[in-house]
Amino acid sequence: MIRIKFFPQGKEMTIEKTLTVKQLLKKLNLVPQTALVIREGKILTSDKVLKDGDEVEIRVVGSRG
Amino acid sequence: MKCRRCGQEAEVELISHHTAFCRECFFVYFKRQVQKAIKDWRMFRKQERILVAVSGGKDSLSLWDVLLDLGYDVTGLFVDLKIDGFSEKAKEKIEAFAQTRKAKLIVVDLEKEGIPIPKVMKLTGKQPCSVCGQVKRYYFNHIAYTKRFHVLATGHNLDDETGRLLANLLRWQMFYLIDQGPVLPPANRLVKKVKPLYRLTEYEIAAYAFLKDIDYLAERCPFSKGATFLKYKHYMNLLEYEFPGTKLDFYQGFLKKMKPFLTPLQKEEAPIAHLCPECGYPTLAPICGVCRLKEDIKKAGS
Repeated sequence: MIRIKFFPQGKEMTIEKTLTVKQLLKKLNLVPQTALVIREGKILTSDKVLKDGDEVEIRVVGSRG
Repeated sequence: MKCRRCGQEAEVELISHHTAFCRECFFVYFKRQVQKAIKDWRMFRKQERILVAVSGGKDSLSLWDVLLDLGYDVTGLFVDLKIDGFSEKAKEKIEAFAQTRKAKLIVVDLEKEGIPIPKVMKLTGKQPCSVCGQVKRYYFNHIAYTKRFHVLATGHNLDDETGRLLANLLRWQMFYLIDQGPVLPPANRLVKKVKPLYRLTEYEIAAYAFLKDIDYLAERCPFSKGATFLKYKHYMNLLEYEFPGTKLDFYQGFLKKMKPFLTPLQKEEAPIAHLCPECGYPTLAPICGVCRLKEDIKKAGS
């Protein structure tokens, strides 16, 4: 199970299947390079594979206005 | 994916540049983009005093951070709008940043000025974004001029600039297109304005802020919900994804090919202003918009 947490909203969700960062963004309906995908304090490039037990933070980067 | 500069594991992928960087090499890239913007547009020099308008968001705090790292004489300016549950958090983050970096900070308190934004909205019925923009512009200029700063720097990024350019072009807003660019020259008592982050995207700035451990305010202003400029940015992001490099090409193309035709119009169309008798700010009306706002609020409140 992969745990996904959205920053700053704090909303959480889980995904069962192993997938890449690129696939995750597509699944979340996010255009690449509009959100940072962070795992263990590091930003992940689109080719990285997310596996069972991973905890990932998503930071949508749009300005606050 | 490997870092293009050093071959280590990459952390920041930049699709627009068909490249990726590790953390340290990304910092080098980021600083170089800022230095290139400053140099290409002769924004300011090392010995000049720079006022950075800070909101507490990732862009302005990253700008403040990178200019300090590059050794510039920078002071932060925060206009406390007094918006419940928002301005206080922004102020906390800005003050914490200033303390950690031992940076100079000026705070303008709109409560003390008599025009806190929620009160202005309630008593005048004005649109929050327009009145907020007017008041912020006033204090940015006023503080920069009266405290003798050479230049006012803002955290506008490539997404802000291309979103605005797209919106202005779609409606052929010539008056706004004339002023669009990384540098707005000084006029009357209005100081020179610069945008040193104009070459960098929101993604790059968010990555920088995260990797530099900058504690910024990520929440949106409660009054900006549904703001139309966010839509333009979204459509630019869709284009960028389909055709990587579009944003920078679009903006650079405008600056190189269109701006030279617009610059002469800037002089012709610049209206002649006089100085507000209350505060000395340039205005076309008998007294400036902010002094009038202060009077209106005073009257409405009494």
